[in-house]
Amino acid sequence: MDETTPAALIRPGRLVENRPLAENTRLMVIDCPEVAASARPGQFVKVRAWPETADPLLDRPFSIHRLSGGRLELLFRVVGPATEIMAAGQPGDTLKITGPLGCGLNSPADYDRGLYLVGGGIGLAPLAFVRDSLPSQSAARLFYGERCGALQVDQAWLKTWAGDFEAACEDGLGYGEKGLVTAPLARALAREVKPVFACGPSPMLAAVTELAEKFGAPCLVSLEAGMACGLGVCLTCSLPLKNGGRLKVCQNGPVVDGLAVDWAGVR
Amino acid sequence: MKSPDLSVKLGPLTLKNPVMTASGTFGYGLELKDFCPPELLGAVITKGVSLTPWPGNPSPRMKETTGGLINAIGLENMGVEAFIEKALPQLKATGATVAANILGHSPDDYGRLAARLAETDVDLIEVNVSCPNVACGGLSFGASPKMVGEVAALVAENCGGKPFMVKLTPQTADVVEVALAAQEAGAAAVSLINTIPAMAVDLDRRRPSLANVVGGLSGPAIKPVALRQVWQCASALSIPVVGIGGIRTAGDALEFILVGATAVEVGTATLVDPGAPLKIIEGIRQWMLREGMDDLSQLRGGLKI
Repeated sequence: MDETTPAALIRPGRLVENRPLAENTRLMVIDCPEVAASARPGQFVKVRAWPETADPLLDRPFSIHRLSGGRLELLFRVVGPATEIMAAGQPGDTLKITGPLGCGLNSPADYDRGLYLVGGGIGLAPLAFVRDSLPSQSAARLFYGERCGALQVDQAWLKTWAGDFEAACEDGLGYGEKGLVTAPLARALAREVKPVFACGPSPMLAAVTELAEKFGAPCLVSLEAGMACGLGVCLTCSLPLKNGGRLKVCQNGPVVDGLAVDWAGVR
Repeated sequence: MKSPDLSVKLGPLTLKNPVMTASGTFGYGLELKDFCPPELLGAVITKGVSLTPWPGNPSPRMKETTGGLINAIGLENMGVEAFIEKALPQLKATGATVAANILGHSPDDYGRLAARLAETDVDLIEVNVSCPNVACGGLSFGASPKMVGEVAALVAENCGGKPFMVKLTPQTADVVEVALAAQEAGAAAVSLINTIPAMAVDLDRRRPSLANVVGGLSGPAIKPVALRQVWQCASALSIPVVGIGGIRTAGDALEFILVGATAVEVGTATLVDPGAPLKIIEGIRQWMLREGMDDLSQLRGGLKI
């Protein structure tokens, strides 16, 4: 990952669509052409769907799920006051968008033999844009893990961008196999080694990195961390590296080599 | 009508306007230049630097709370040498007025940092005395007038005549006593308040929200606390007082000036909107135009009690 990212912009975005895909999971389509124009897969934007003077204080960061016709798509889970406000957003609403931010997948062309895309929960978010950017979408395969069936996204919708996929559900009450997403990923890696791109909770990212390392597969992870500025100054999103250094998720990430991260220090 | 004069005097320095960046919210001065050109600010106060690089605290380091956020970055920084070599020349080249914020674990650290910065072209030194004093069991220097006096005297001795400003913590028995100690030791100004010690917990996980357990609260939630302490200090000191704490609008900044502040620092607001300091400067100008005020001294300390 290099740090040559396109300059971030702050622009108004117009909410075009805001619909549920599962319990607490929604898809937002935002018309914000200037930000969309320079966005790369794996990058994120900050969103503010409420007045500058009101709580919540901070804008919220979201991976760009996909670009569609020059519009930004965001996949988000309703987890607190900010996302509750977003969930209530109506078409025509104006949002403040800051982005594109961070380092994404800089050379999608390098993955001409495909990628194993691994999404845990709302970690699905960046994977559609990553898949769309690959030279051959058919060489990519999605592995989708979820804690419980009630949280799984609509299967038909998932197929529209992911094609065939493998799902794992910890409570066994949804589609796919019962258990962790690392199980189908391990079987796939045993059949054929391909690079891995994963996004999800940090214990999952640590496990996926370990698995990829075992099979000698390169492993990119898209990290999440509590973040204030998103622009590299506040150091709130800083995470430890194995070499003793630190990375700013907002600027050196969110997409980084999983092997470089000191997972023991990520909570 | 003539354009209002926003310039203010901070000891021997003249700032083009009263708005500075609070340390730690504007990086080393150039990171946010596309949104906020540093040369347009009263001064850029850079991220605090120590004698050697500090790694900072483990993650998570930040938790948003009502009207504010609690951070425990742990003063991660590149160290004074890297700052002088890599960051300062580029920042000075923009024409910005630069205040370097310094951090230490012992009084001697502060003296050495001041001596090193005395050799550079920084315009002002801001001394963060909220760090733990290792020799005193980690108690913050800023808690006692005696320790602040000791640190400030060492800075005064070593700074080669450069003006310095002591940034005070709100965590004191009597902030005025501490501010007076800084003044007596030769500080050109004091700035306050630093963050307020605070804590948040995650009920579901039964854990503290921050890896460091405790942190410092900033943002709009702390403005009333800051306003009171700035008013107390401005009423008692003869040197300028710089107001910090929850400033996000021109109105907020003007309130601090009304209670006696000479200038202000904008911090958390910049993390929300990197253009916030510029908007505040412009807002102050517009307010002065509306009020027919051509100099901020006409407002400063004008609180009617």
